[in-house]
Amino acid sequence: MKIFWPVFATILAAVAVIALIATRKITFWRIVDLIVGGIFIYAGVVKALDPIQFGIDIDNYKTLPWFISVRLAFYLPWLEIFCGLALIFRFLYRGGLSILAALTAVFIVATIAAKVRGLDITCGCFGHASKNWSFSTHLALDLAILVALVALSFRVASGNRPQNAV
Amino acid sequence: MRWRLRRRTRPVQRNNEIFVSGHWLRQAAVLVLFALVPAIGEAIYFRDKVSWQSPIPASELVTVDQARAWGDSSIWVDARPDEEFARGHVTGAVSLNEDRWNELLPQFLPKWSPDKKVVVYCSAQSCNVAREVAKRLRDEAQLKDGEGKNCVFVLQGGWEEWLKKNR
Repeated sequence: MKIFWPVFATILAAVAVIALIATRKITFWRIVDLIVGGIFIYAGVVKALDPIQFGIDIDNYKTLPWFISVRLAFYLPWLEIFCGLALIFRFLYRGGLSILAALTAVFIVATIAAKVRGLDITCGCFGHASKNWSFSTHLALDLAILVALVALSFRVASGNRPQNAV
Repeated sequence: MRWRLRRRTRPVQRNNEIFVSGHWLRQAAVLVLFALVPAIGEAIYFRDKVSWQSPIPASELVTVDQARAWGDSSIWVDARPDEEFARGHVTGAVSLNEDRWNELLPQFLPKWSPDKKVVVYCSAQSCNVAREVAKRLRDEAQLKDGEGKNCVFVLQGGWEEWLKKNR
């Protein structure tokens, strides 16, 4: 049963992308925008629904005092949601890309640092859905997201901006 | 017609050039501010449900002296891994860690009654397992005293603090 929802969501996303490609002329980079934006919106919503648990997850890294962790727990999910929406709707696109790339890079560094310090933690990045993921799974997903964000940033910086992007 | 199109497109292009270095920063600042609005709203909604100064609310913490004063009306729960429990623990403490939760919980429950307070500890102030075990005892095992109030407490300072007080 645990595997059902991730598989279902993946199939649904694949069908949605195929339908989009079939019905409209959609480019590869637009699909990357949608996938990355969707991932951050999902991650943000899951955490915004349970900010106290997310605060505990941040506190588990043992890098910030609690009074900062708990405030970040209320703020970061909304920042992820807004940046995810920015990628999907191409509004404040470059700002969203920059913030998400910075957040992901900070998160990767924090995860590696926690592993080096021997902390056995759950990252909390996707709420309880990711509670049982291994360190390597987390790292692989985060690196893939970072690569996608950097690639999108390079595309914007090289002047090949997505149409209508603000 | 050509002249008009040129006049219209030029300023836009110049605009893009100007904002190559600064525009993304301004956009990021706008997003940062946008996100503050729902975050503050949610924080206001949760203001009574969250402990802002400590991960464990003061009402759920107990000092070594307080816990010792409870005497026989309390049960000590060691939330550390088996190896650490085997190396040393509070006299009479019951081992109940998350690694073997399903196995250890049934052994713990018969020892508890609603008139007994539960004191959970882990290695130090900074460890989280005591907090997690205390939470699970409240939520999953539904431990409450006779009046329906909280009876599960986390030991301030954990095992290290207990050792200091017992030297």
